[in-house]
Amino acid sequence: MFAFYPVFLREMMLFRKRFLRLGYFFSAMFAPLLYLLAFGLGLGHRVSIAGGSYLDFLLPGLIAMSSMNNSYTWIATSLTVGRLHFRTFQVFIQSPVSPGAIVLGEVLAGMVRGLFASSMIILVGFFLGSGVYFIPLFMPALFLNCFLFASLGVVSGLKAKSHEDTATFSNFFILPMAFFGGTFFPIEEMPRWLQFVIRILPLAHTNKLMRAKCIGSDCLLSLAVLVIFAVIFFVISIYLVRTYSE
Amino acid sequence: MDRRQWTAFYLSTPPRLPLTSVFGHMINIDHITKIYGAIRALDSLTLVIKQGEVFGLLGPNGAGKTTTIKILTTLSKPTSGRAAIGGHDVEREPLAVKNIIGVAPQEINLDKELTAEQNLRVYGMLHKLENLGQNIKDILELAGLSERSNHLVRDFSGGMQRRLLIARALLTKPNVLFLDEPTVGLDPQVRRQIWDLVRNLKENGTTVFLTTHYIEEAEALCTRVGILSRGRLIALGTPQELKGEVGGFVLEYQENGNTRYLLCQSREEAHRLSQSKKGPIIIRESNLEDVFIKLTGERIGTD
Repeated sequence: MFAFYPVFLREMMLFRKRFLRLGYFFSAMFAPLLYLLAFGLGLGHRVSIAGGSYLDFLLPGLIAMSSMNNSYTWIATSLTVGRLHFRTFQVFIQSPVSPGAIVLGEVLAGMVRGLFASSMIILVGFFLGSGVYFIPLFMPALFLNCFLFASLGVVSGLKAKSHEDTATFSNFFILPMAFFGGTFFPIEEMPRWLQFVIRILPLAHTNKLMRAKCIGSDCLLSLAVLVIFAVIFFVISIYLVRTYSE
Repeated sequence: MDRRQWTAFYLSTPPRLPLTSVFGHMINIDHITKIYGAIRALDSLTLVIKQGEVFGLLGPNGAGKTTTIKILTTLSKPTSGRAAIGGHDVEREPLAVKNIIGVAPQEINLDKELTAEQNLRVYGMLHKLENLGQNIKDILELAGLSERSNHLVRDFSGGMQRRLLIARALLTKPNVLFLDEPTVGLDPQVRRQIWDLVRNLKENGTTVFLTTHYIEEAEALCTRVGILSRGRLIALGTPQELKGEVGGFVLEYQENGNTRYLLCQSREEAHRLSQSKKGPIIIRESNLEDVFIKLTGERIGTD
């Protein structure tokens, strides 16, 4: 039942070690704060979206983006380096734990990382006087988003042939999604054909749910999209661990 | 690490799982072939290892030793053929296999950012080990690392890291211990310590499967040796048997600036043959390197 726990615990031990270094903490928080300051200060006064302030629009977007980035990157990097360089991942494969437990442990660790980064931005939002995230679907969307991208991190961490591979994947998939998926401006501003493409991507739905820009069945559809992506990535991860062979 | 301590450690809690080996065979390797792209890393390897043996797979780098260990420890799937540990098929019952093995790979794959204790704790939990705190304490003491328990592995010397790596593999009291090049790059003193440890394991009935490209190591430790060359098992037997096959003595002499070897049945024969040789000669007992040279025409290579 709790077979995932040692896998999770190990990642937490490593996380704690790194977290205790102050430089690490600041570098993790740097990107979202930079976006918040640059876009918030630069555009905040002039732009108002759907009758609300730009800050209220931007904050949930940054939370979605940071939770995605942190959940994904931490696990993708940890697995790639652990598998190819330090070969610590092989200890899991050679231990009597099921592939599902290995994946779950890693995904939960990625979620902790993503939720931690998100809570920092929420905290900043508090000080700036924004209360946009007190909507019912905010938390489920955030958790699903972390789960989904941590699972994607496992897939990428197991498939990467080098550390550069994860960076490439991040540049071509994660980063564009952050920019086009409704983080900084509404998807509706985009050309129609592009909107169609964006709506296939999970982050657009997280953004939508976090901003409550949906009602009734529309919300359910977005939730369903996230759940489906989460399940697909999770199942692929388990398959990759099960068939792992050097 | 004296013997009484070892025995006490093993008797305190006997191996956790009953042995399920068939006819005392602990490891069965049945026509295992592994192909990487165009390279045939293992070519129809067949081998049976009995419970309690210290078996050494000897061969130069790239012969397929590590590949064999990877397949037996479920890290790599064979292209064809089957293998079983303690009667459990490595592909069909991987969890049962993982429950009775311990692995100390060639690369030291400890978490260097964590302490020795943390490394062992995570490993013990992965194996659902009971009474973990006490077991960790005991194994650290046996490895001579008690005082280093809460130090980061990063700060350990190479020899200490290697000892911790083997200690981790022994934490679960495995029925079969795999050691991949256990003493590579270690100074002679640490190498002796690890040899002693393996000898103690032998007395406790643990089956040990080790790979090495050090001739002395195979001769000093192994009850039986297999010689691997380019993925093929070219010789198998006790060190004595193998050396007997090439004759017990070797005459080394110089010819055109190269060292030549002549295998002889007796010291007298070597003496007789040496009469016709010019320059410095050496007459010595044969070793496993000579066996390898005779079979392949190449050296295993020492460093």
